[in-house]
Order: sequence, then structure tokens, then C-alpha cells
Amino acid sequence: MFYPFFEICKAKGLHITMSEWLTLQDALERGMAGSSLTQFYYLARMILVKSETDFDKFDMAFEECFKGVKTENEVTSQMLRWLDKSDMVELAHEEARAHLNEMEDNTIIDKEEVEQKFKDRLRDQNEEHNGGSFWIGTMGKTSFGNMGGNVGGVRVGGKTGYQSAFSVIGARKYKDFRDDRVLDNRQFQLAFRRLRQFSTKLDIPKTELDIPGTVDKTCNNGGCLQIVMEKPRKNAVKLLLLFDSGGTMIPYSSLMNDLFQAVNKSNHFKDVKCYYFHNCIYSKLYKTPECENGEWVDTEWMFRNLDSDYKVIIVGDAAMAPEELYSDSGNYRGPNGGLSGFEWLQLMKKHYKKIVWMNPKMAPGRAPWREAETAIKELFPMYKLTVKGLNDGMIKLMANKG
Amino acid sequence: MDQGFNSTNQYVASRELMDGVNVAIALEKPLLIKGEPGTGKTMLAQAVAQSLGKKLIIWNIKSTTKAQDGLYMYDTIQRLYDGQFGEEGVDDIARYIKLGKLGEAFEAEEQVVLLIDEIDKADLEFPNDLLWELDQMEFYIHETKRTVKAKHRPIVIITSNAEKELPDAFLRRCIFHYIDFPDRELMAEIVKTHYPNVEENLMQQAMDIFYDIRSMRDIRKKPSTSELIDWINALQIGGIPASVLKEKMPFLGVVVKKDEDLETVRQRGI
Repeated sequence: MFYPFFEICKAKGLHITMSEWLTLQDALERGMAGSSLTQFYYLARMILVKSETDFDKFDMAFEECFKGVKTENEVTSQMLRWLDKSDMVELAHEEARAHLNEMEDNTIIDKEEVEQKFKDRLRDQNEEHNGGSFWIGTMGKTSFGNMGGNVGGVRVGGKTGYQSAFSVIGARKYKDFRDDRVLDNRQFQLAFRRLRQFSTKLDIPKTELDIPGTVDKTCNNGGCLQIVMEKPRKNAVKLLLLFDSGGTMIPYSSLMNDLFQAVNKSNHFKDVKCYYFHNCIYSKLYKTPECENGEWVDTEWMFRNLDSDYKVIIVGDAAMAPEELYSDSGNYRGPNGGLSGFEWLQLMKKHYKKIVWMNPKMAPGRAPWREAETAIKELFPMYKLTVKGLNDGMIKLMANKG
Repeated sequence: MDQGFNSTNQYVASRELMDGVNVAIALEKPLLIKGEPGTGKTMLAQAVAQSLGKKLIIWNIKSTTKAQDGLYMYDTIQRLYDGQFGEEGVDDIARYIKLGKLGEAFEAEEQVVLLIDEIDKADLEFPNDLLWELDQMEFYIHETKRTVKAKHRPIVIITSNAEKELPDAFLRRCIFHYIDFPDRELMAEIVKTHYPNVEENLMQQAMDIFYDIRSMRDIRKKPSTSELIDWINALQIGGIPASVLKEKMPFLGVVVKKDEDLETVRQRGI
């Protein structure tokens, strides 16, 4: 039933599966939508939509599918489309026609009267045509009921204590929750889970059974059981993230955001540090993505304070101009510190044992026309910033060799 | 849906929420509740249990919780100890199987309400590990080769603070409800269920300030329903007259928890 709505929902980017759709059908069959469009709205939403970030999409889809109910011009066609499989079609047709004619003839109508008349007629109709298919039984009635109200501009759903579906949609209450970026976040998070290295040298209580220790102690104890506990293993991985925040990175800002969120949400790291740079790394690293002068730390300070065990992920498009990379005055935004960008990158490589470069727009294979990218590829292993690329990069960060 | 769950004298539920609960019960699916902290997600389960006259079993999820913990635990160490000292019944493994909260809910003689609280606190894979159990309402104890099957399908309510994304496979099986932050009307009703004798003027003034603070853009931690309720309680106990509320804003620390926020509110004034 009601397949077009399903299609529209999908077209709006809602991921609805068949099983959820069938659940809705099941619910409708049990009469859970009662006889109101508004109740149908909430019922469909609670079954089909699983995050408040998708409420807005759902609202849009709902409006597109049912907006005919709102304005009288579209009522006939829309309504008839829903009704055209039922034995009620003739009657409904006439009803609607008659009603619309009435509307056109008399520009001023007593709204309550209209509503009342419409409701009465509907009730009669339903009694006469009890055998109609379920959908018509409830939804048909529903659309009528609501339309009846809406033609006259009176809300029918008032008594239920609900906000009417359209007033909810009209307000686009959930617009702020809309968040198209959420989709990949989980996958990114899963990729970051690869970054694990367990260590027991941390300051935490002994809560796990040490089996070899227990066997040893018990044997020494003449076979009388003696339990030995040990500290659980904790992840010892420390992560250093360096984001390129230059102008060419702007198209990827939502992707960057995703990645940043994913790291933030992965709370299994021992430590996460995050700095920004503009096009290339020079003597200063910025604390905020805006890269404002003064809001920075010395790159050398970072070398001193973040030891070589930090695993480094550099995210950037590696699209510097040659002088930005090779000239010792190539940093047009801040100090160079007497070294060229390339030399700073070499220092990075020397200091940190594990570095990968994630590139959102990496050229496939060798790309001699992208000089900077080629040069950096020789310095650091570079991966495209996709879920797969990130996975590969994380494996590289954890690998013992190379 | 006139029967089933309704607001109780402790808990005011919006119409949508009530229907959500009743739909979840009728369709035999878990109800997933999201919403800002302090909108009464956890209290909902208590209210449902109370309203339906059923027992409530709460499974609190922590970051270290494993799906297995909810099913059963095999107390091997106890068994070892018992074996050492020749206790009776050591050969009976079943003695050392302790059911978790989910197991408890399955084994209950009557239908219960099971609250899985703050599911997002647990490991990323946690919800996936429970798919079969929540679908089929049964699990298998390897040690005793026994299948624990729900005698009466529990009403499952799951809450999440959206700290982590939940897996799609899990979401597909749930009925979802997002608790909106209550508007003034509903809020007044909520306050009154807690303090039926609250002075109208005091409550209105307090709510003015409360919604004002919530609307400030630079507030780091927005106060929630439970904080308003605590505040009104404090004001009542302190015998603060409504007239001085806006000037002095007494006990503001009950509503605003962060130093920086307190400063902001004080500077701004209401």
C-alpha cells in the first residue's frame, strides 16, 4: 500500500529497508494510524526514520507526497489516484467534485459547516462501503477528513492533541538537526579502531584474571587455588592529526569535519592532538582551522613535546606551488623559520616513526603534472581519503615495518 | 490506541511519545528513545512499567559492558574455589550460571519492561551483538546446553544520548522516538506533577529565566528539565518570593553548572 510514498522517501535520501516498510504496513493493518493523517505521519516516522537528523528529509517527502491534501486544487487528482483501485471511486469522485463546485460557487463558506458536512458525508460513505479495502477504510477517510478540514482552513486533527502533521512540517522543526555528513562517520570510526596497541603499563586497577600467574601461584601453593589479577590491556596509541586548512581544501571541509568528528568520537586513544597548517607545514602550526596569526604553536615545540611514538596523520591535498614547497621564503602567510616547506616535511619524517598522508583528491598512479604531490608521495605513504584509503592508511600506521 | 501506556502522576508524556510506546508494544519491537540529556528518557521506562503495572528491569550500560554480560555469566572462579574445598554440587554447572539482566527479563514469569539504558555508552559493536537476542528473544547457554527463551516477550526500551552512531542493522529493528525539548506548556505540566502546590507566579518566573538561559547562544551546557525541577524545589525550600527571582537569581548554580556559563548569565542579566 502506498508505494509512491516509499519511492519519494527514498528519493529524498532516506534509507528505508523493505522490512521497515513491511512493519509500517503491518501497523497500518492493525489500524494504528487510527483515522487521521497526522497519526499516520507520526506512525510512519517512528517506524521508518531512525534518527532526528533525518526528520527533515522525512517531512519533505511527506509534504511532497501528501501536499495535495492541503490545497483544494490538487485534491481531486491526488485523491483519485489513491482511490482508483477501490469500489468507492465513483462515489468519492462525485463527492469531491460536488464539494469543489460548491467551493467555487460560494467564495465565502462557513468553515465549520463545510467541515461538518464533509465529515457527515464521509461517515455515511464509510458505512455504506464497509467492504472497501483497508487502505481506503482508514487512509481514504483520513485524507478526506483532513482535506475536509483544510479546504475550509480548519484543522481537523485538533482534538487528538497532536500538532497537525502539516503544521509540524510547515515549521520545519527538524531542519537544524539535518546532518548529511553523519553517514560516513561510523565507517570512519570503524577505520580508526584499527589503531590499537595494547599495553599494560598504565595506571589502572587490576581487574582481569592473570591466567599464567594464577597457574604459577597455585602450583607454588601446593595445588591450593590462588588467584592473581592483572591490569587490563589498554590502548597505548597516541595520535597526532595535522589538517591542511588552505584555500584549496575548502571543497573538502565537510569531509574534514567527518574525519575530525570520527577521531573525536573514538575515545579509545591514549591521546589525540590536532593542529592545522596552511598549504604546507612550516615553523608554526595553528591551533584552529582558521589559521590566524598568533593562535599557533612552534613546530619545534611539537617535536619536543610530542614524542616520536605519536602516530601522525597528515590530511591535505598536497597541491602546493613549487615555491611553497621548495623556497625558504615560500610561506606567504607566516614565518618560514629559515627552512623550506620540504625541509620541514623531512624533519617531520625524521622525528616521527609513523606518518601517513591522507589526500582527498589524490591523482591515480603517477602524476608528473602534480609536482608537489609526487614529491610528497616519495616522502610519506599517501592514501586517498576514502573509507578504504583510511583503512589502508591505518594498517600502514600499525604495521611494524616501513 | 486508547489503552496501554498513558502519562502517570509522575511522568508527563506527549501524545506522540505515548503512541510510540504503544506502537512498539503492539509491534513487539524495541523502542529506541533519543533526546537531549534530562528530557526524561530513563524515567520513561519507569513510567511505562508503572502505568502498565509491570516489573521494571534496568540494564545500565557502561563503556566496559559487553553484550554477553546481559545474557549470562559463568562464575568459573567460584566453581574452582568450590572444587578445591569439595563443596557439594560442583558438578552441576548450572549452579554457576548467573543470568544477566536480559536473561532475567526472559526468565520472568510475567511480562516485564526491560530498560537498556544509554546503549551508546558501550562499544561500537555492542548493539550488533544483541540483534539475535532482541529479535528472537532467546539465547543459548553453551556450558549447560540450555536455550533461554522469553516466557513473555519483554517490552524493551532503549535510550541513547547519541554519543555514538548506532549500526543500521540495529536501527532497522527499532521503533524510534526523539523526545523534543518540552515547550512551556508541557514544561508547566511536568513541573506540576512534581510539585502540585508550586506557586504559579514563582513557576512562571523561574521558567522565564530558564528558557532565557537556554536561548543564550554562548551557553556551553544548556540546562535541562531535571535542572529546572531541582531549581524550583530549591526555591520553594528556600522560601524565595517570586518577586526577587529576576533580580537576584538565587541558587543559580542548580541550573547552570559551568563556571563560564554562570559568568555569562550573571553578566547578561535577565
